[in-house]
Amino acid sequence: MTQVVLFNVFNGLIVGAFYALMALGLSLILNLSGVINFAHGGFLALGAYLAYTLIPYIGFWGALILAPPLTAVLGLVVERLLIRPLYGQDPLYGLLLTFGLAYIFEDVTRFIWGAQSVPFQVPAWLMTSLSSQLFFITGYRVFMVIIVTVAVGGLFAVLKYTRLGMRIRAGTRDLDTVSTLGVNVRVLRSLNFGIGIYMAGLAGVLAAGLLGLSPTIGANLIMPSFVAIIVGGLGSLLGTLIGGLLIGVASGLAAVYFPSATEAVIYVMMGLVLLVRPRGLLGEEGRMH
Amino acid sequence: MANANPRRISRRRLVKSGLALGGAQIFGPFVMRARAADAVKIGLDNPLTGTYAALGKNELVGCQMALEAINAKGGVLGRPVELIVEESTSGDAGVAVQKARKLIDGDKVNFLLGNVNSALSLAMAQVSNEKGVLHIVPGGHTDAVTGASCHWNVFRVCNTTQMEANAVASALVKEYGKRWYYITPDYAFGHTLEAGLIKAATALGGTRVGGDLTPVGTVDFSSYLIKAQAANPDVILFLLGGDDMLNALKQAVQFGLDKKVHLAGAQQEMEPLEGLSPEARIGTWVMEWYWNQPGVPHVAEFVEATKKRTGRVPTARTWFGYVSTWTCALAAAKAKSLKAVDMARALQDFHLPPEIALGPNPAFYRAGQNQLLASLFVGEAQAKGSAPDDLFKVTKVVDGAQVAGPLEESGCKMTWPT
Repeated sequence: MTQVVLFNVFNGLIVGAFYALMALGLSLILNLSGVINFAHGGFLALGAYLAYTLIPYIGFWGALILAPPLTAVLGLVVERLLIRPLYGQDPLYGLLLTFGLAYIFEDVTRFIWGAQSVPFQVPAWLMTSLSSQLFFITGYRVFMVIIVTVAVGGLFAVLKYTRLGMRIRAGTRDLDTVSTLGVNVRVLRSLNFGIGIYMAGLAGVLAAGLLGLSPTIGANLIMPSFVAIIVGGLGSLLGTLIGGLLIGVASGLAAVYFPSATEAVIYVMMGLVLLVRPRGLLGEEGRMH
Repeated sequence: MANANPRRISRRRLVKSGLALGGAQIFGPFVMRARAADAVKIGLDNPLTGTYAALGKNELVGCQMALEAINAKGGVLGRPVELIVEESTSGDAGVAVQKARKLIDGDKVNFLLGNVNSALSLAMAQVSNEKGVLHIVPGGHTDAVTGASCHWNVFRVCNTTQMEANAVASALVKEYGKRWYYITPDYAFGHTLEAGLIKAATALGGTRVGGDLTPVGTVDFSSYLIKAQAANPDVILFLLGGDDMLNALKQAVQFGLDKKVHLAGAQQEMEPLEGLSPEARIGTWVMEWYWNQPGVPHVAEFVEATKKRTGRVPTARTWFGYVSTWTCALAAAKAKSLKAVDMARALQDFHLPPEIALGPNPAFYRAGQNQLLASLFVGEAQAKGSAPDDLFKVTKVVDGAQVAGPLEESGCKMTWPT
């Protein structure tokens, strides 16, 4: 039993890392632009399907490199045409728009690639377990954790050490002042949106390799990411990361003791956090209103 | 640090939005078709989005193929037939019931078809029974539909979960062992299928060494697989449907479980198999209909017609839709009436003609239960078959009448309107 619990904690961290990757992109956009991007799951699915389409031509590795930036480019187009006019308006508009987009994306993927799941091939050598004892640690999952670590590390490095990152962070605190200081806020928002969607695209490719690919892949993964943000605390990327890992572990543990509650448990966690510490684990006090 | 920026999203707003998203997923888009005057109307209330979208769409294809064939042969009682399609969602009984009422009260359909989801089938059956409309359930498997909750007006094409369990259990016990672990979806279909398998296995000396109920739409099965492995069973049974099956099998193979334990289940379908990479197409299963039936009359024509329409071979779902729609036409023709009671009486022990049965054994609606008994195809999923679409190797065709058990055991006590 102890072994099963340990395995599930470990496994929960792997799954949580993945939730965190999705939630970080979502969080990034939310923090700077105040848009709750419900279409994030749609972009995730799009990234995965782009990779699926590219694999026959450039292989898995090529697709892994190319599909996320392509998704980001699509994200930029959507941002420029649809989302930009809504900045500064009531956040409800952006929410309704992206909500509609989520449905459109899902149906577009269904229309182009079919309602049925499609097989998503990753290199065979990644698919085997590394040890027969710890059989749930497959090459692919280790690889996934490495990619997530690199992506998250990269994101934090960009935010911390580059001029763009500094501006994004500053904009998150007070966009008006950043604008007054001569920063082109439009470009800043676009780039930030692009980075967020890049993360979604990357998460999509990784998820497809793990789960197979169907049009609902995005819809299935988006709710845990929202919960990760709320648990971690609005406004804090580190909080989002921790939130993702926590809900992964929580649902893993629930599977040991009360299996039919693996989904419910993440919402219970959200409820508890909201009751006990409403701003989330690392959330800013200022966002409490 | 207070934040005065009004454009900011507050946590409270985010939480509310999340709730709204969850709620709004209930209301999917719906499809409607133009209708001809004085046509006989068949209303299909089935999922087109969500987990069961692929299954629902294939049933729709089957319905449309039957519809065209029926109209080409002069319709029903000399009147043209039209199909009105409503999206039921994959899991919300409230929506399915509301759509069923809309079809019956608003569109005045003569027949109601649906649903892929067992729980939704049961909910719809209550409505159709209250309204006295002939209702065919193409593909909702839980026993109760033609068991404890049976109705005189509700007929079912797909098998009961108990029939599937009976068909596969003996093969599994004989070949792979008696200690079974169950991974079961947490809703009506899963519960009855597991109960059916336990019953069938116990009769053969098998035991349940453990199991888990998984929420529908589970994406990550790793924690369940960890537990299953720890229980050290002979066979792990996957009783999942749709994308859940796909995710679970894919992960089981990634973990190398297939090399340690035999993987199997009761119901398997073409839709998930087509989504699996070849190395994950493994295990012992039952198919309720299979396209590759050499020597069985009319099957090849049906396969060709479906391929022409969709580019793919028909699946059991295509066949369910096809049979359901044809059943409406055949019932009306035999009863020479569109009165639901007359048609339901006409369907008691009614045998489907071979060009619709499309299987080696006779296919008929057992009287007193309204359950279609046809053929079940037991076999193994395969990485490579005789054709690119040949994903399943049939090892044994079981006659539905042999595994249905006696009528009294079904639990159906049918009361007819006076």
